[in-house]
Formats: sequence, C-alpha cells, structure tokens
Amino acid sequence: MAFNATLTIDSGIAKITMSGELDASMAPVLQREVENAEAQKPKRLVLLMSDLEYIASAGLRALVFAKQKMGPGVDIYVVGAQQQVMDTIQMTGFDRSVITLETYDAGIIDNI
Amino acid sequence: MKRSTVPATLDSLDAVAEFVMAAATAAGLDKRASYRLRLAGDEIATNIIVHGYVEAGLQGALELRADIDDRTLTLSIEDTGVAFDPRQAPVPETDLPLEQRPIGGLGVYLAMRSVDEFLYERIGDRNRTIFKIHLSPASSEESGRA
Repeated sequence: MAFNATLTIDSGIAKITMSGELDASMAPVLQREVENAEAQKPKRLVLLMSDLEYIASAGLRALVFAKQKMGPGVDIYVVGAQQQVMDTIQMTGFDRSVITLETYDAGIIDNI
Repeated sequence: MKRSTVPATLDSLDAVAEFVMAAATAAGLDKRASYRLRLAGDEIATNIIVHGYVEAGLQGALELRADIDDRTLTLSIEDTGVAFDPRQAPVPETDLPLEQRPIGGLGVYLAMRSVDEFLYERIGDRNRTIFKIHLSPASSEESGRA
C-alpha cells in the first residue's frame, strides 16, 4: 500500500497534498508533515485529498492533532475529498470543525 | 469459506485490506459497502495489533475468516491478545469541536457504524470479532443496470 504526503508553504498557507491509502501504518507520514507545517506557524492549513483513496481513524487523528497544535485561529480546509473519504469524515463529526470544499477555490483559501 | 493468518504487526494491514476486499468482491458488494467493510476490518485489526498485542508486549497473529452465503457476508477476526470487547468501548462525542477531542476512540466507533451487525465472542483465551454485511439482491440488480 502506498501513501504520500507533500507539504508546501506559501504566503502563510500550508498545503499538504495526499495520495494513496492512509491507514495506521502510514499515519506517521502525515503526522510528520502536520508537525512540519505547524513549525512554520501558518495562517491556514489546506489538505488536498482528491487523490486520497482511503482514510482510517489514525489519519483523522492527525487532523485532531493539527487543530489542537495550531489552535482555533488556524482554519483547516479539506479539499476534494472522495465520497467514501468524506463519509468517514462526516461519521466522526470532523466536518463540523473543518471547512470542506469540493474543489480548490483560490478566492476563499488564498484570500487572507 | 476463506481463511488467512497474518502476524500482529501494522505491516499486516495491507494483507488484511486485501483479504477483506477480496471477500467484498466475491460477495458482489458495491463500492460504498466494500469501502465500509474494509474500514471496519482495518480499524479492528489496528486496534487488536496496537492495544491487544504491541502495547501489552505480546506477539501473535490475527486469523481472518470470510464466509459468504445467499444473504450475508460474514467476516471474523480472531486473536489471542488482551481480552477486549469493542462493544464496551466508550462512544466518542462526535459533537465536540476538534480542539476538545481526545485523540483516540474513533476506530472502534467507525468500525461498528460501518457494518450491519457487529458481534464479539470471548472463547477461552481468544477474542473473536465478527462483522456481518447483509447482501441485498435488489442492490446488485441496481448496480447491474447502472
């Protein structure tokens, strides 16, 4: 199983692009990128999920960690999540604590 | 009936997922039901490996079994790790904002919500966790038309 997470930070916006299948064995990969993002004190965290095929609770815990580390002032965006991934996010109620977008909307995300 | 035995390490999650998805395909589950069964199997396997074996300093295996009949796909996972009845796990407060969430407790909750029946048996020194998915002839006809 493959999972990749790539972090870029530009103008205070941290973006993590994920692809593949995120289970408990791969969650440390995402956790590390969330920590790297947090160290740069970004204003927003954007999770690009269109190529993410699967997410387990271990992956969702990285979101809890991110929110708790970065604080309520840093909005987290979940962009392009596939239907089944979004179902899981909704089952846990996380959709109420993050901003979900079907596609990347620069007018919303880049407008700080 | 299919069986597979995998070592109780996180590296086995791939093999668990493959086993579950093969059973889902054999039973004719649609994409959504397959995903949810995989989620249930993955979460429970993770829980057994992490809490039942690794954190307890134990080594062992997970025995997977899948049975399919006309009406039901039954998947079971047996282990000899620490006794644990997932049905007794506290239900997470999904209304809480992320800032106030405890870090754990979501996996079992997701697993139990993702299948039609969730059973647990303690047999001697073994935990047996059982998932059942009800197979509906109507849904396979629908997917055939789509």
